[in-house]
Amino acid sequence: MARASTDAGAVRVLFGQRTAPIQHLAEQAGQIADACRAMAARFHDGGKLVVFGSGEQCADAQHVAVEFVHPVIVGKRALPAISLTGDVATLTGVASRAGFAEIFTHQLRFLAEPHDIALGLAGNGNHDDVVRALAHARQLGMLTVAMVGADPVTAPARLADHVLTAHSADPRVVKEVHVTTYHLLWELVHVFLERPDPLASGAVA
Amino acid sequence: MTSQTTADGAEFGSLYPFLYRDNRPDESIVDEVCRSIVAKTREITALREDVLARDGARLLDCATAVAHRFAAGGRLLAFGNGGSSTDAQELASLFLNPSGRFRPLPAFGLTNDIAVITALSNDVGFDLVFSRQLAALGRAGDIAVGLSTSGNSENLLRAFAEARRRGMLTVGIAGYDGGKMAELDSIDHLFVVRSDSVHRVQEAQTTIYHVLWELTVAALTGASGAVAAHPDGNG
Repeated sequence: MARASTDAGAVRVLFGQRTAPIQHLAEQAGQIADACRAMAARFHDGGKLVVFGSGEQCADAQHVAVEFVHPVIVGKRALPAISLTGDVATLTGVASRAGFAEIFTHQLRFLAEPHDIALGLAGNGNHDDVVRALAHARQLGMLTVAMVGADPVTAPARLADHVLTAHSADPRVVKEVHVTTYHLLWELVHVFLERPDPLASGAVA
Repeated sequence: MTSQTTADGAEFGSLYPFLYRDNRPDESIVDEVCRSIVAKTREITALREDVLARDGARLLDCATAVAHRFAAGGRLLAFGNGGSSTDAQELASLFLNPSGRFRPLPAFGLTNDIAVITALSNDVGFDLVFSRQLAALGRAGDIAVGLSTSGNSENLLRAFAEARRRGMLTVGIAGYDGGKMAELDSIDHLFVVRSDSVHRVQEAQTTIYHVLWELTVAALTGASGAVAAHPDGNG
């Protein structure tokens, strides 16, 4: 019984570690709304969403793309989105030829257009591949959105136009906050798109 | 914006000062969107509490059973459709290549290989894409983990049947009321996230498999030697 109660306590601690980072996300509601509004403006103008992230964020990039392309809620518009993590031949080819930090930047050069949106996901630690791709996207004129972890190494001063942070040292919790974040982005982009007046005539910075 | 404030309505202004900073033409929409964000973050926290209350002990049991399988040389095979396919891939990668100083374990996502998925879909049908792979790859000591929000995906139902037939340990993660997965007798450990929101379901499911991984690794490497002490408890 003693061991069982200790283990139950451990499970409770693990679940409890998720609470504060989600509250922190709620405190970024303003930044999330700003990002959604800017993304909606790009979709409104015919732009597409280009998503990327490596390691733990690789599957997330594909999840974001499928959210937008194939909405789970009936009646919502399909929006153009692609993940740069699905083409393993290109990823490993670029990594081998030009280095791992180039895997997304190379694809952006040929697949992205200036009116598109770049969404880069990074956990804690160094993500030169994502940082470099966001810098390139910015140069290209893309709207740039970053989802990062708590580690400041991943967040240079001007990483992206919109930076949303998951405040946890645990990479698993960072991922969970990111999942909620991109679900919110998807849902609320549609709120702005369905009322496009504010999106017109350069109203969005 | 300090984290010590709660997100109560009375503190809305202090939490979101940008709303009152200037007069944007769409202030009401932004306001609505912010309220929606706060409401949804509360939803997911409440849902995680619900999952913990319902399934905390069962997660421990499941992790112990999974750990026994790994200890005996078993491998984990994960599968799901759409967003759940990305969860299956993430789950497999988490076991195979965890960040930090954790023991890597053999795991594979059945949606990783597009050639296999499209070949099976084209030749025998999408309902069989996972069961056929389990028939080819699965061994009696392995672990099958299937994720679905609805619990109704035909290719998962068939995969669990095949996994059971082969003597694999079966773990299901579903949403809503569990759907048809809740009616199966082929799932040893079923976790149902009881929410009507597909997004909140996925978010809580992510926590479930992260916690399951963490408990499994702890059971395998813990000083208590929990797995070695109970060699017959594999679910």
